[in-house]
This record gives sequence, C-alpha cells and structure tokens, in this order.
Amino acid sequence: MLHEITLNINDETYPVIVKSHYTLARVLREQLGLTGTKIGCENGECGACTVLFDGAPVNSCLVLAVEANGHSIETVEGLSKGGDLHPLQKAFVEHNAVQCGFCTSGMLMSSKALLARNPHPTEDEVREALVGNLCRCTGYIRIVDAVLDASC
Amino acid sequence: MRPFDYYKPDTFEEAFRLLTLSDKKVLPLAGATDLIPMTRDEHWQPDVVVDVKALPGLCDITETPEGLFVGAAVSMAKLVHHPLVNGPRWNLLAQAAAAMGNEQVRTRATLGGNLCTASPAADSAPALLTLEAFAVIRSAQGERRVPIAEFFLGPRKTALQKGELLVGVLIPAPPEGAAATYVKLSRRKAGDLAIVGVAALAYPYNGGYAWRVALGAVAPTPIRAPEAEVVLSAGHDEAHIEQATKCAFDTCCPIDDIRASAEYRKAMVSRIARRAIEGVLEKLS
Repeated sequence: MLHEITLNINDETYPVIVKSHYTLARVLREQLGLTGTKIGCENGECGACTVLFDGAPVNSCLVLAVEANGHSIETVEGLSKGGDLHPLQKAFVEHNAVQCGFCTSGMLMSSKALLARNPHPTEDEVREALVGNLCRCTGYIRIVDAVLDASC
Repeated sequence: MRPFDYYKPDTFEEAFRLLTLSDKKVLPLAGATDLIPMTRDEHWQPDVVVDVKALPGLCDITETPEGLFVGAAVSMAKLVHHPLVNGPRWNLLAQAAAAMGNEQVRTRATLGGNLCTASPAADSAPALLTLEAFAVIRSAQGERRVPIAEFFLGPRKTALQKGELLVGVLIPAPPEGAAATYVKLSRRKAGDLAIVGVAALAYPYNGGYAWRVALGAVAPTPIRAPEAEVVLSAGHDEAHIEQATKCAFDTCCPIDDIRASAEYRKAMVSRIARRAIEGVLEKLS
C-alpha cells in the first residue's frame, strides 16, 4: 500500500510516496539520500538512527515513515547552518568525541534534544539522556565532555 | 520487513471495521516500538496495521470523578512530564514510565502498548496493579472495564478478545495520604528491561498503614504479593519488613532468561521489595 505524504525535514518540505511498512530511517536514507542517519540494531537499543520528531528524540528505525506525515523531523544534516558547524558538532571535534563515527549523528541529535530542554545539564543528566545511544569506541568520556562543553 | 497495509482511522466505527476484517491478520499500532521489530523478525505477521493515535481520547490524559483516565496511545514521555501524572496522587505511574526503555523509546512507546504486549517485565504493570487501575476496553458492541489484575493472562496474553481495543486505563485516586515507590533492578542503571520490578504503596488506615505491593518480571504475569501486604499492614518495623520480603520471595515463580537466572531473580525480589518498602516509609515520614 502506497501513501503520498509530506515530510518536513530540517525546515524543508519533501513530498514523498512511501510504502506502509517502510520505516522513517529507510525513507530518509534510501528515498531522500539523507544518509547521515545510521541504521544499527533496529531494536531501539543503539540509537544510531536517532532523529528529532517534533523536537523529541526518536529511533527513526522504530517509526513508520507514514506516521511522520506532516510532522517536523530534524536530522544530523540540519545541524550546520551556512557552512558553520553547530556548537555541539564543534565540541565533538574539539574533544575528539568521534572515533569510528557510526554513533555520532545519533549522539548529536539526542544531545541537541537534551540541551533544548535543559541548557545546563549535569554530567549525570547528560549520561541519562544518552542511555539510548551506544558507542563501542570511545567509552563515552569524550562524548560526555563534549556535550558539557557545548552547554556552557 | 514483510509488507502490510496501514490505516489511521479517526472514528471508532472505522477502527472496529478494520480490526474485524475477515481473513486478515490485523494488529493495532500505537507507539510501534514493539510492532516494528516483532514484525521484522516475523514473530508477528500483520496484513493490516491500524494506527490508533487519531482515535478520540486515545492520546488524552483527563481527570474524571472516577479517577485519572490515561488514553492507551499516551506516550511514556508524556506520562513522565505530565503535571497530573507527576503530581501527588499518581506519580507512581510517572516513576514507572521514567524507568522504561530510553529517551527515544519513551517518546514513542505508549502505556497501552506496554500493557497489551503483556510482557511480565512491563514497567507500568506493577504501578497500575498497586494503584488498582482498570483497563477500559471497547468493541463495536460497547465498553467494558477489567481490573488490571485480571487483564494479564500470561506472557504476551491479555483478556482482550478479537475485535476489542484497549482504549485507556482508569486509575482511581489512591486513598488520602498515600505514598508509593517503584524500584527496578536491571543489568544497567537505565535503558534495559527489569530483572525484578517492585511497586509498593501505603496509606494511613486504622491508626496504622494499609499496604499494596506488586512484583514484575518474576512470574508469568505481573502480580500482587498479598501475603506481604497482610504482614506489612500489621506493622512495618524491621521484623515485619523482613517477614514481608520473605513473603514476596515465596509469592514469585520466576524463570531463567538472558537477563538473569530464576535463582538470582528470587534472591533479588527480597532485596528490591525491601528497597521499595523502605522508600515508601521514607516518603511517609
């Protein structure tokens, strides 16, 4: 079954035709070419596919694309504006918070949601907000430092 | 993932027509956080999914004369932050919702989904058991209410019949002066299913306190621990607490799984029950 839907992604409107069973992650990557969003576990454990759905973090692999019809979606591609990196991205670079990079887009999006509702989180609050984002390289310390730095 | 058709009805009439389509495997869809992985792995094989999020009342939280009504499609994140749920009377449910999954999952996952999936480890279940909530169930024939204790029939089995939909949960206000705590043990501090979950609630009664205790992840369904409640209601000094934790130990019948052995779960029921009871006493004092 096909659905004609409209996705608002990073403040741009995308009319798109999707199948009922396609996930948002799949449509972002395969139909819209927004491959910054990664697909990892597809179970809601790893958070590599995290995007913001009306400002709240979701696993885009656990949302049907058709459910996102008319909603506002933010992906990692929307973070930098006019060639300038987002403060979170700058902090990730400065702290070497990226190793293999697979988790990074999800980490950035979860961190962005955290800082939007809590601009000055404690270390515990950062760690709690990132419970659903797994990194198997860094041991999290540099990522947590980067988020705390971006929040100052 | 195996293809299916998707509908999002905005009337119950249309929803029940879809849910009762003959020759089709039809599943309701709320948060989809279970439906998508279960369908991808072919444990579930829907031909049609019916998104319930546009049905009247399903995303609402409303205070009624009978208690708090929480629509089945209300997300865990909304429960955590909602002023009524997070207020003095029903915050046990907010505590349980906050303990479930991770931030991303809580944004989408719903109370109705948590109950209908009927995992013995569902975090919302011990809270609703101690709050003595009712499942509000609708079909084309009308509405019925089922006490939550009778809603769970076994792992992944509920009292819902074909053509019936859980539309929400009605949670009576707990007695005046009640305090409640949910304590969860999992492999990491957050973001995992419960190895053991214990909800405890106490309220002033006859010069002492009456208690309700419920256990998750240690039996085929979430359960109340009536013997522990009787012991605590007779007194809550160290001897009674110790006796109550033994009763909780005796009440449960857990299984071995990937998260923990049955033996470990049994041992931890006593510990976690003690923490929940002591947490309530701390709030009462």
